[in-house]
Amino acid sequence: MSDNRFELNRRRFLGNFAFTTGAIATGVGSWVILPEWANAAQEPIKVGIATDLTGPIAYAGNADANVARMVTKDINDNGGLLGRPIQLFIEDTASNESVAVGNVRKLIQRDRVDVVLGGITSSMRNAIKDPIVTRGRTLYIYPQLYEGKECTKYLFCTGPTPAQQCDEFIPWLIKNGGKRFALPSSNYVWPHTLNVYARKLIEANGGEVVFEEYYPLDQVEFSATVSKIVSNKVDVVFNTVIPPGVGPFFKQLYEAGFLKGGGRLACVYYDENTLNINQPQEIEGLASCLDYFKVLAKTDPVSAKIQAEYDKEYPGKYLFAAGSAATGMYRGLKLWEAAVKEAGKLDRDSVSATLDHAKIAEGPGGPAEMVPGKRHCKMHMYTAVAKNGNYEIVARSEGLVDPKEC
Amino acid sequence: MDSAFIAAFEILSFGAIIVLVVLGLGIIASMMGIFNFAQGEFVLLGAYITYLAFHVGMPVWLGMVAAPFLVGGFGFILERLIIRRFYAAPIVAMLGTYALGLIIRETVRGLIGGQYLSVPEPISGSLDFGTVHVSAWRFVIVIVTILVMVSSYLLLARTTFGLRIRATLENPSLARASGISTNSIYGATFAFGAALAGLAGALLVPVFTLFADLGIRFLIQGFVAVMVGGVGSFAGPIAGAAIIGVLSAALPWIMAPVVADVLVFVLAIIFVKFRPQGLLSGRGV
Repeated sequence: MSDNRFELNRRRFLGNFAFTTGAIATGVGSWVILPEWANAAQEPIKVGIATDLTGPIAYAGNADANVARMVTKDINDNGGLLGRPIQLFIEDTASNESVAVGNVRKLIQRDRVDVVLGGITSSMRNAIKDPIVTRGRTLYIYPQLYEGKECTKYLFCTGPTPAQQCDEFIPWLIKNGGKRFALPSSNYVWPHTLNVYARKLIEANGGEVVFEEYYPLDQVEFSATVSKIVSNKVDVVFNTVIPPGVGPFFKQLYEAGFLKGGGRLACVYYDENTLNINQPQEIEGLASCLDYFKVLAKTDPVSAKIQAEYDKEYPGKYLFAAGSAATGMYRGLKLWEAAVKEAGKLDRDSVSATLDHAKIAEGPGGPAEMVPGKRHCKMHMYTAVAKNGNYEIVARSEGLVDPKEC
Repeated sequence: MDSAFIAAFEILSFGAIIVLVVLGLGIIASMMGIFNFAQGEFVLLGAYITYLAFHVGMPVWLGMVAAPFLVGGFGFILERLIIRRFYAAPIVAMLGTYALGLIIRETVRGLIGGQYLSVPEPISGSLDFGTVHVSAWRFVIVIVTILVMVSSYLLLARTTFGLRIRATLENPSLARASGISTNSIYGATFAFGAALAGLAGALLVPVFTLFADLGIRFLIQGFVAVMVGGVGSFAGPIAGAAIIGVLSAALPWIMAPVVADVLVFVLAIIFVKFRPQGLLSGRGV
């Protein structure tokens, strides 16, 4: 009797196992989007998007995927690229590096894409760059603001670097906040590297770093830090604590009277998404420096057009915001389009040779161009301050700001 | 002197938050022998209900009052449909409740779009004691925690219902023979534990903002607290929670926060090594 039951269980287990592996092998997680006019005569150009559609930063990954859909639709509606349609392959990196590497391999080996765009965190970039660039022999474009120092061949970065986010921002903070800085940070690579750069600039501009401290990524209780900030009479909190800690941290600072005492919050990843983390009065006066803010749509017709198109096609909770790499994704795709047009072909060496000096006249926040030989992107930068739950632009770069990388 | 007072208050209030989260977990673990890995998600649900109330324009406090009842009801249904099938196999129960938690967590993540959302506190601002300011809402949390702790104790120790719960825990067969419906007692206990988690979520969402991983953040600390305090009694997990909460909030005042985070767990492991039964062992209240 018991033997029979075991037999049945094992059979059932094997059946389920076969079903599950079958489902995984056929790729339930992959999304393939073909333009309507695709036909057999013209083989489509294949673009791979690897981004975090699920997991803690899904709000950013989904926005990136939406931007990719929007840009490729525009290109296809206008006759495609080199007379061929673009076919989009979107894979989930799931905020999990081991899942991501598997899915990226699918893009490279099964779908044989011509370029991969994506990855949001630095750890994700580091995990997927080798399968894409080295073993996959494919071009890779990374769209997020990051800590710099990524100089891999065939890897192009289209988001802002520390130089772009700090060179004009820190002198502005010293002028509009004060000289005494605190650098509270989450304990991972981006804050560590950014703080080295920020500290140099603060000291070069006559400011002083009162303390620099690192916290576990999931810490949500900051009373010791807040007390240190208040008792040391810090003028500017240059924050690189990330969610979930940042919300409770800003709230505790507010309750301790930091803002009332004239203190200034600064955070270079703060965009429209992160405005919702706190109530407006808790982050009043918070300053950020990015390549795009939604408020620019009021004055810049190109930004207005892109923003309106995105909002129309993808209304809802996934916002078109600079901090989630959405603007870098737009720029990356457009620069790549320009490079392919110039090269006239799709092999990796030809496209990276033209992408090396590619330019676009129109993008969110203004034009952009690659710095030849550096694989990083020059762009306009804007300093904005949170006022009553919205941003106001208070300073903008004279021209295109140099990334100063590689 | 002032900063010492503030430090004491902040440490006390974080201790209170951990106690509030662990109360429900401890009651379910001690009274039913189930380690409920979905407890963190009950906290999340309480927080989400409060956010929903605020989102549709109702007063926040209304959401906070509703949260424990709704989450308690949800817990009751879950116990009826799923949890009760696990009583015979505690390990399977852990995996099963973990799966439940995962489903709830990812559903909420989908509903809020993976965002971090603020919920205003019904009583905002700060209380002034001379020159020092303490957060009014944290003060409310400390008061409510004390009230909930005392009333839970009275419920378990002084009422007939509490007696039935304890009888069911001590000796289920004898309890059934004496005419106690152990089935409905288990259902009610689980619902009560879930309701406490819902209340905790509702009260702490203004402090920590709403995000899908809110519950899991406290679950690990909760389990360490139960381990240190000792399973089997009402007071054990609470004592453990107070120790873990106070330690996690106090250590960053005197050392690097990254070290403090690890040290709490190291201390807990050393403690359990020398006192495996926990701080307060034995059954009862």
